[in-house]
Amino acid sequence: MVRQSHLTPLSFLGMSIAALLTFPLLYVTYSAFTGDLSQAGNLWNTRLPELLTNTISLALGVSLATLTLGISTAWIITRHQFWGRAFWDWGFVLPLAIPSFVLAYVYTYLLDRAGPVEQSWQWLTSSDAHIPSPYSFTGALVVMTLNTFPYVYLLARAAFQNFNLSFEEAAQATGATRWETFWRVSLPLIRPALVASMFLVVLYVVSDFGAVSLLRFQTFTYAIYQQITGRFDYQSAALLSLILVGFALVFVFAERWFRKQSRFYQTSGRVRTATPKPCSLARGLTINLLFLMIFTAAFGLPVFLLLQWTLTAWTNGEIGTSFGTYIGNSVMLSAVTATAALALGTPLAYLASRIPSKLHLACLQGAYIGYVLPGPVAALALLMLFTDMIPFLYGTVFVLILAYLIHYLPAGLQAMESALQQVNPNLEEAARNLGAKGIRTFAQITFPLVRKGFSAAWLLMFLLCMKELPATLLLRPIGFDTLAVRIWLEASEELYQLAAPPALLIVMLSIPAVFLLSKKNWQAG
Amino acid sequence: MPYFSIILSLFAISLWTEVPAIKANDSVVVYSGRAERLIKPVLDHFEKTTGTTVKLLTAGSTELVNRLRAEKSRTPADVFITNEAGALELARSLNLLQPITLPSVATTIPEPFRAPDNSWIGLSGRMWVIVYNTNMVDPTTIHSLLDLATPTWKGKLAIPTANSEYLHAGASMILAAKGEQTANKFLKGIRDNAGNEVYGKNRQIVDAVAKGKVGVGIVNHYYIFRHLAKDPKAPIAPLITDQAEDGMGSIMNVAGIGLTAHAKHLSAANQLIEFLISPTGQEMFAHTNKEYPINPTVNADPVIPPAASFRASTIPLTRLAELREPIIQEIQRLGLR
Repeated sequence: MVRQSHLTPLSFLGMSIAALLTFPLLYVTYSAFTGDLSQAGNLWNTRLPELLTNTISLALGVSLATLTLGISTAWIITRHQFWGRAFWDWGFVLPLAIPSFVLAYVYTYLLDRAGPVEQSWQWLTSSDAHIPSPYSFTGALVVMTLNTFPYVYLLARAAFQNFNLSFEEAAQATGATRWETFWRVSLPLIRPALVASMFLVVLYVVSDFGAVSLLRFQTFTYAIYQQITGRFDYQSAALLSLILVGFALVFVFAERWFRKQSRFYQTSGRVRTATPKPCSLARGLTINLLFLMIFTAAFGLPVFLLLQWTLTAWTNGEIGTSFGTYIGNSVMLSAVTATAALALGTPLAYLASRIPSKLHLACLQGAYIGYVLPGPVAALALLMLFTDMIPFLYGTVFVLILAYLIHYLPAGLQAMESALQQVNPNLEEAARNLGAKGIRTFAQITFPLVRKGFSAAWLLMFLLCMKELPATLLLRPIGFDTLAVRIWLEASEELYQLAAPPALLIVMLSIPAVFLLSKKNWQAG
Repeated sequence: MPYFSIILSLFAISLWTEVPAIKANDSVVVYSGRAERLIKPVLDHFEKTTGTTVKLLTAGSTELVNRLRAEKSRTPADVFITNEAGALELARSLNLLQPITLPSVATTIPEPFRAPDNSWIGLSGRMWVIVYNTNMVDPTTIHSLLDLATPTWKGKLAIPTANSEYLHAGASMILAAKGEQTANKFLKGIRDNAGNEVYGKNRQIVDAVAKGKVGVGIVNHYYIFRHLAKDPKAPIAPLITDQAEDGMGSIMNVAGIGLTAHAKHLSAANQLIEFLISPTGQEMFAHTNKEYPINPTVNADPVIPPAASFRASTIPLTRLAELREPIIQEIQRLGLR
C-alpha cells in the first residue's frame, strides 16, 4: 500500500466533518477562558477533589464490575452447553434496551426511604433499621454496572467465539491447569475486545447524566449540569467539561495504544473454535439460577415494574393519546441520526484506515471528542452557536440531530473502523487497477464486506439515540417531545405510573435493535 | 451518489418538521417550568375558548431562564411560566422580560405579588408550612418555623434536600425578614435536628410524617392535601405559623407568568395573561393544585384554609432573586445534605 498521503477531495470532506463535530468543543474552550477566572480558582478548591474522586472511582468500580460480570457470563455461555443457553445467549443483551435513567428511577423507587424493600426488610426483621441508601456511590455503581455490562458481554462473547482453541490446547498440553490457561492464555488473547468494551463502558459512565442525577451522585457530568441549570454558570461548566474531556482523551489514547500493542490479524487457514461442552444437571441449574438473578436485576424486575405501573395508568385512564407522536419522533430522530452518522463516519474511518496520515488520524480522533463532551454542555454550545450564527435553523430538529451526531457518532465509529480494518486493502486495490473509480470500488467491494459491521454500528447508534436525554431537553423544537423527554418530565414529578408507559415503549422499540445486535458477530480490531 | 442524497434528505426532513404554526399570528409560545399536568388543562381550555393555539415547552425554571438568555432576541417564547417567583425575578433582572401593559393587572393582582414594573405577575400562592403528625405533636407548642431549629426537635424533623428550590426560597425569606444570624441559626438547627431525615421529595416528607417516623416536616402546603385526598384518615395536618403580632407571617411564594422581552405574538400573549388572571383562569390555575388564587375575588379550593384566615409574609418576592446566590452558598457551607 504505497499511496501518497497528499490531500484528496475526500480529505477535505473528512476535515469538514471533523470540524463540524469538534466545533462545539472549540466554543466550550473559548467560553472557559474568557471572562473572570477567579470563579474557576474557587471551583478548583471547593468542588474538584470531590468530583474527581467520585468520577474516577465510579469509572473504576463500574469497569471492574462489568468486566467480572461480562466476562464470566460470556465465558459460561460460549463454553458450556446447558438447558436455557439459547435464551441467555441474547437475553443478556436486553438490558441495553433500558435507558440508564429508567433503571435508576426504578431502583430509587425500590430502595428509597420507606420504599418497598425497606418496608419488607423492617417487617421481616421487625426493626426500624434502614437499608443502604440508593443515593450513594453503591447505588450509582449498581445501576451503571447493570446497565452497561452487556457491552462487555457482547464483545467478550464474540471474542471467545472466534477464539482459536489451539492456543489453549497448547497451554494445557504443557501442563497448565484450566484456571492458569484461562488467566494466562484466554484472557490476554481477548484483550482487544475487553479494551474496546471498556471504551464504551467508561465513556458512557463518565458522560451519563440521567442516572447520576436521579441518584444524586456528584460526578463531573452531573455537576456540570447543575452549573448550567441551577445557576447560569456556563464558564464553570465549560471549565469542568474541559477537565472531563482531558481525562477522557487520556483514556481514548490509552485505548488506541493498547490496540496497537495487541493487534491481531485474523489467522489465515483453519481456525478451530471452541464448541460448548455439555455440563451436568446440577451445574446447569446453578448457572440458570445465577443468570436469572442477574437478568432479573438488570431487566426482568424493571420491566415488570414498568408493566405494572403502565397497567395502573391504563386502568385509571391516564394514558394520553399523543403517544403515537412521541414514538414517531423518537424513532424518526434516532433512525435519521444513525443513518447520517454512517454517512459522516464512513469518510473518517475510511481515510484513517486506508491513508493513515497524521491529518486523517487527527480528523478521526477529533470525532471521538464528542463522546466525552458532556451532553448538556455540547447542547448549550450548539444552542448559542445556532442562535448567533445560523438562526434560521435554530429550533428545528436539525440542531438536535447534530447534537446526537456529535455525541453518538464515536460509539458507531468504533465498530465501523474495525470493520474497515478487517477488509484487505488489496481487494480495493485490485478493483481500482481494473479501472473502477473510488466511489464504485467502495460501493461494490468495500461496502458489501463491511455491511455487517456497519449495520451493528447503525443499531448501536439507534439504541443510544432512543435513550438520549440532556440534549433533547435543551434543543427540542417547541411542542416536539420524544419518549425519553416524556419519561423525564413525569419522573421528575415522581409520577411513576405516568412515566412508565413511555419507558416501556422505549424498551419495546429498542428490543428488536438489541436482538439484532446480539446476533452480530462483534469483533474488536 | 447516495452520500449527498442522504444528507439532502436529512436536511429536508429537518426543515419539514419545523413547526410551522409558530409563525402563525393567532398562537402563543409558552415556556413553562410548571409541571405539565398542572398547566396543560388550563392552556387547553384557553385554546378551546379563544381559538388561539398554545405551543408549550416544559423544562426546569432556571433552565428556561438560561435558554431565554442564550436565545436573546431570537427566542420563540412569548410568555414564561414558573412555579417560583425567584426565577421570574431573575429573568427580569437579566432584561429578558418586558412590562405587561394590561390595565387589568393593576386591579386584580395585589402589589406584593408582582414585579415593580409588572413584567411578571403572580398567579397562585404556595405556602411553605409545617406538616405535623396529629397523634404525636401538640400544635400549640409551635409558634414559628424557627422553633423547629431548637433542640426539642432533634430526630423528630424531616426536611428537603439542599438543592430544593423551596428550601432556598424559604430560607431566603427568613434571611430577608430576620437577618443573617437568625437564618444561619435556623439552617444549622434544622440540619442537626433532621440528621438523616432528609428527603428529595416533599411527598416523601409528608409520607414520613403520616407514618409517624418523624413528628414534623417542612413542605409546600398542597402536598399535605394531596396526601389527604388519597388517604383521608392519615394523621397529618398543616400548621400555619409566624402569625404573632411581630412575627414574619407565613412564607408564601408564587407561581407566575412573565412576558418575554422579545415576544413575537404580543396580542395573543396578552390574551393568555388576561385569561389567567380572570376568575375562570384563576380558579383553574390554582385549583388544579390546591394553591391560592392571587386574584382576591377568587376563592381558594374549600379544602385548604381560606386565605383570609392567616397573614402571609410581606417581604416583596423580588428579594428572592437577590438572595438566591448567598443562600445557596450558605446552605452549601453549612453542609446541608
